[in-house]
Amino acid sequence: MGEQYAIEVKDLKIRYRSLTKMTLKKSLLKFKKSKVEVFEAVKGISFNVPKGEIMGIVGKNGSGKSTLLRAIAGIFAPDEGCIDLHNHSVSLLSIGVGFQKKLTGRENIYLSGLLLGYTEEYINKKMDEIIEFSELGKFIDKPVKTYSSGMHSKLAFSITAILEAEIMLIDEVLSVGDAKFKKKSYAKMEELISNKERTVIIVSHSMDTLRKLCDTILWLHEGVIKQQGNTAEVLSAYEEFMS
Amino acid sequence: MKEFIKKVQKYYKYTIYSGKAELKSETANSHLSWLWWILDPLLFMLVYSFLALIVFGKGEKYFSAFVFIGLTCWQFFERTVKQSVTLVTKNSQIVTKVYIPKYILIFVKMFSNGIKLSISFCLVFIMMFLLRVPIGLNILFFIPILLILGVVTFGISTILLHFGVFVEDLANVITVLLKLVFYLSGIFYSIVGRVDEPFASILQRLNPVALIISSMRDCMIYSKTPDIPWLLLWLLVGFILSYIGINVIHKYENSYVKVI
Repeated sequence: MGEQYAIEVKDLKIRYRSLTKMTLKKSLLKFKKSKVEVFEAVKGISFNVPKGEIMGIVGKNGSGKSTLLRAIAGIFAPDEGCIDLHNHSVSLLSIGVGFQKKLTGRENIYLSGLLLGYTEEYINKKMDEIIEFSELGKFIDKPVKTYSSGMHSKLAFSITAILEAEIMLIDEVLSVGDAKFKKKSYAKMEELISNKERTVIIVSHSMDTLRKLCDTILWLHEGVIKQQGNTAEVLSAYEEFMS
Repeated sequence: MKEFIKKVQKYYKYTIYSGKAELKSETANSHLSWLWWILDPLLFMLVYSFLALIVFGKGEKYFSAFVFIGLTCWQFFERTVKQSVTLVTKNSQIVTKVYIPKYILIFVKMFSNGIKLSISFCLVFIMMFLLRVPIGLNILFFIPILLILGVVTFGISTILLHFGVFVEDLANVITVLLKLVFYLSGIFYSIVGRVDEPFASILQRLNPVALIISSMRDCMIYSKTPDIPWLLLWLLVGFILSYIGINVIHKYENSYVKVI
């Protein structure tokens, strides 16, 4: 069993510098250093997620939820503090990892899979399952640009849902496609999540979803943890706060 | 450095697949598809031949092969460097969603541009055959010189990739600079033959592209030994640039996403 935590976050701080992009004109004409505004999106939070737990994150817009998720996925470097994933593989389930529009769906599955760090054999093995789940049928061998937006997100969802990782980070993707696919993807989510080995973090605004799926809830408010604990407790406090 | 090798190994499959995918999507919708990779340098060669032979009335020996070698090397360098400036912004779709070492994106470009370069070089060999160019042992230098071109291009690209993220109009500056370097590199004239000393040596040796192109011509069509000490020096410079670039990218790549 070894370690009991899958994710350990300590004193995490992430800052954005408002004045980041510059142009040559600006830097040549302005000799005095312009003041850089620093915006701190995540202001020093610490928490642990035990292995196999499903944690939901709630909070109003701009409270740092997505930033936190991206930091855990390794896209952002923390400015301070650290995130320890104990060498678990992690994938951020979000809509569409850069599809090449002119390539077919099948080729894009390869491309996304390799990009997410899976081996060719593994992708080959999962290919049929992905295609079947995405319900694209013949379209899988047509260029992605011919897809409707619903088909586009179905494919994206199927790729990330079927290529499994030990830690899954889910950012508001539970509503994809038509009613039927929605139901199916929801069922798939539940199936993925119910695996005891898998640790899941879900960011969502849908109270129903969170209530059904999560073991614990983390409530972020303006970059700090406002409350953390049992689902029912935190959610009712959150709902009260928001109303 | 260890980290670099490990990451290249991990993403090597992706690099190749993505490079191929890029070539494929480039040709997917044009009528002549991959023929453009041949036509493009061929037509440019005609343009420059017209300029040099008819407008200025000054050619070089084996002129079509001469121009073609220059153009081929130049296009590889120019495309890769130009693309790397906007590489992170253009791939924001990918970069904001998964972690990928950013120089892998340069390798993808180098791969797809490298394929075009190989096709072009096949044409050079055909042209040399048609022009009955005598071939000596010196032609073996062809491979190390290509390698140097690769290293120098990669070094410059890594550094431009980094600054391209933060400086929005760097792409404009680079476009102009590249145009200047293009005319200075002797693509359709011989620097040593047309420029007086000591400027010729300066132009030739301080510009890696000019040096690589003229060395390439020396070994391929004039059966001469290329300027080895200066080539080695530029190889070293290329390695140093790459080393700096890789380290800078390792250090800052995770803050790129916050900017774009």
